[in-house]
Amino acid sequence: MSAMRSAERVHKAVGASLFWRAMWARAYPRLIGTQREMGWLLSETILPLLGTCGFVFVYKATGAPQEFIGFAVMGGVATAFWLNILWSMASQLYWDKDGGNLELYIISPAPLMSILLGMAIGGFVMAAVRGFSILIIASLLFQVGYQVSNLPLMLLIFFFTMAGLYGLGMMMASVYLAAGREAWHLSNALQEPIYLTSGMYFPVKALGAAVATIASALPLTLGLDGIRQLIFTTQTDIGFLAPEIELLLLIGLTVIFLSAARYSLRKLEEIGRREGRLIERRK
Amino acid sequence: MALVKPLGDLPFVRANPALRAFVIGAWLGWQIESNWARPLLFAIYAVARPLASALLLVIMYSVITNGATQEPLFAFIFIGNALYIVVSSVVSGISWAVIDDREHYRVMKQLHTAPMSYYSYLIGRGVARVGIGLTSFVITMLVGVVFFQLPIALNTINWGLLILASIVGIIAMQGIGVILGAITMQLASNLWFLGEGTIAALYLFAGAIFPLDVLPEALQPFGMFYPVTYWIELSRRALLGANAPTFHAMGAIPSETLLLILTGMALFMAIASYIVYRLSLHRAKEMGRLDMETSF
Amino acid sequence: MDSAPAIKTENLGRIYKIRGPKKKGDQKELIALKDVTLEVPRGQLFGLLGPNGAGKTTLIKILCTLLLPTSGTAFVDGLNVATQSQDVRRQISMVSGGETSGFGLLTVEENLWMFARFYGLDNAVAKRRIAEMLEILGISDRARAKISDLSTGLRQKMNFVRGFLTDPNVVFLDEPTLGLDVTAARDVRTFVKQWMQDHPDRTLLLTTHYMAEADELCDRLAIIDKGQVLKDDTPTNLKHGLQQNAIFNLKVQPIGKKPQDNGRIEDVPGVQTVAVRDHAEFSEINLTLQDENVLPAVLTHLGGRGSSLIALEKHEPTLEDVFINLVGRRLDQDTHGQENGASE
Repeated sequence: MSAMRSAERVHKAVGASLFWRAMWARAYPRLIGTQREMGWLLSETILPLLGTCGFVFVYKATGAPQEFIGFAVMGGVATAFWLNILWSMASQLYWDKDGGNLELYIISPAPLMSILLGMAIGGFVMAAVRGFSILIIASLLFQVGYQVSNLPLMLLIFFFTMAGLYGLGMMMASVYLAAGREAWHLSNALQEPIYLTSGMYFPVKALGAAVATIASALPLTLGLDGIRQLIFTTQTDIGFLAPEIELLLLIGLTVIFLSAARYSLRKLEEIGRREGRLIERRK
Repeated sequence: MALVKPLGDLPFVRANPALRAFVIGAWLGWQIESNWARPLLFAIYAVARPLASALLLVIMYSVITNGATQEPLFAFIFIGNALYIVVSSVVSGISWAVIDDREHYRVMKQLHTAPMSYYSYLIGRGVARVGIGLTSFVITMLVGVVFFQLPIALNTINWGLLILASIVGIIAMQGIGVILGAITMQLASNLWFLGEGTIAALYLFAGAIFPLDVLPEALQPFGMFYPVTYWIELSRRALLGANAPTFHAMGAIPSETLLLILTGMALFMAIASYIVYRLSLHRAKEMGRLDMETSF
Repeated sequence: MDSAPAIKTENLGRIYKIRGPKKKGDQKELIALKDVTLEVPRGQLFGLLGPNGAGKTTLIKILCTLLLPTSGTAFVDGLNVATQSQDVRRQISMVSGGETSGFGLLTVEENLWMFARFYGLDNAVAKRRIAEMLEILGISDRARAKISDLSTGLRQKMNFVRGFLTDPNVVFLDEPTLGLDVTAARDVRTFVKQWMQDHPDRTLLLTTHYMAEADELCDRLAIIDKGQVLKDDTPTNLKHGLQQNAIFNLKVQPIGKKPQDNGRIEDVPGVQTVAVRDHAEFSEINLTLQDENVLPAVLTHLGGRGSSLIALEKHEPTLEDVFINLVGRRLDQDTHGQENGASE
């Protein structure tokens, strides 16, 4: 074994520069994984796509107008993002703990928030690839047409829906870690019930004002409602709130969830170090 | 299920490795899922998830039909969806058991080196899932009858047909589950979706939530080769009796014929599952994949 | 800060609350560390030797800021691990035995790059150091292999690169050779020795329950059992303490575990410590005697119990003997169990 050649001190970034480096470093496995693991890509594209087809055929069986087919397709896209939040964001820190990565994140000088943001960026890219695949395939299969009435507003709504959604995912990651092995169940609990309450496959307005208001705490609800209003021409008014108002609410949700993520992460580390939960591994 | 473990102590069960493996599988499956027996988890798996998916369809249907739940199509969709819960539970449950044993609990080596049949064990795991699926089915149906006035009454149900079709149907589902489980033995965990994906794909061809007639013509025959399609149709007929909708592509075929076809398919699936299992096991051993761990 | 010891603990304690299988009422307490006071100067390779469950890993987790102590204080590089955790993290790294960290779908160099960036290393520096250290550990040919394809030994070597790549002041190695084959373990030990030689200002804390490893590597050792540090000295001094005694390994026909009518071996005058390990065909006894003249009495005692001598070996004191002398049982007997043998 040869002698060590580099005994010189190594420069290490701190502050914002460290945050930036750590964030992209954590995003990297996900960005690269999109190319390397076709299995995941297929699973997260095919499952929502099949679900979407099922809902489209239900609409066809009931003789629904063509725009409802489009609603179902949008629901499929939203499902890809939501599944990504549940299984690749919320549960990720728990899995990282199980695999032994979490303790290495913690003992590194990188802020945990940078690690979570990296996960979110990587997760978003993963989900976007799947979401847009679903959008294109399903739109072609079922001949869905789109008419964008206000592109900048639509893009802003999309951006803040995603920012709010991934902020929520980051917050959930800490909560899941605190919940330990119950996390698995939590993700399951938040699938179909969220498909229902967020109006993924139908206009959320159909649930009534009270339920739709509560469901608006989830960025997907407002985002889907806003985007549907901006890209489909419908005979009836399908919107729960005006898209402009929904945008403002989405900005608010983004701020709330990102702050909550930061707070819960700090709390988690504090409680975890006190109670030894960051190092225990249970099956 | 608490009765299952004492069953394992019976002399004839202990003497028969296949039977013993089956009982162990059923008991273990229930133990794993019996986290589930806790109130919160019961609420998630047996109530919230199935009901949410049922209500999702109810709302989609109601938005378009202005709440015409008395129409035969509504009962068709509601019951078909509830029945498919059992299918998903059994079929994806078995393939998931393979990944769970291998990657989560890491006991695949021990299970395969123990003097028991892993095939029977997998069927046992499937039986535990039947119990779970049926519980959700009953709860969903109760909600359908109480809140959406599904035209079902205990005295009008054709119990004989329902029980017979279900026994045969479950054998077919177990067969499909073991086939998927056997194939899963070859796959990395990132292909966990095989079970769920297949079951979701077949959902479209089972005539569960929309009549097969709605599918493009070229795709409709697929449904006729899927045993679950026959089980759902027969169960729907048994539950609804005279109220069963007849617009379905299968509407013209008598129940006796459907039952006969289902029996033939179940038999085929049972045999096929054993053959596929043996071949897949051999291949997995050959490739050293039996106890691989592929966490990402 | 430079004048401060690399590691310092004062009356450090940690109690775990063990959750019972059901409800809160079942909570129990487990004392993992009790009043641990240690000081490790810079530039030292310090070892913690103790059986499984002795509290070694708990101590490392506290020093690495993963766990808070329930009493006492701990400093690493002059920084309080409880209140200055973020500053401590810049100075340390940790490698554990049997570690499965990293992402299976990334290659060795990609995984290492990712961790290097968590410490703020420049891209070019990270890449250069990765290449250099992979070379030193003899695994540069696997740089582009996915880590899911690596053997345990190769994976642990990669973990070593990760631990040293970021130029830490204090490195914690928790049972680093656990599960490694002889060659891989030797490579890892050679690497550690070389690194300490090349970086005389750095400190390394190693936990192990392999005595030979502790003896070979450590400048100084603390023997830890049941959460308490029993002795802390150089390996030579620890062994020297037993030099005036006579140490024997006896292989005898099986003796029963229960003391017989003629009493226990310990009761023979001049016997200081006894550790017995029962095998199917024979019993193995480690004896520390006041001097060799005590041996005939011991053999007579054993004869009285129907156990005759098969083989006898006198040897120089080892760390195992030091451990037996301090704890009263062999090192391969866990703190919480008696799986591998029993002392009388």
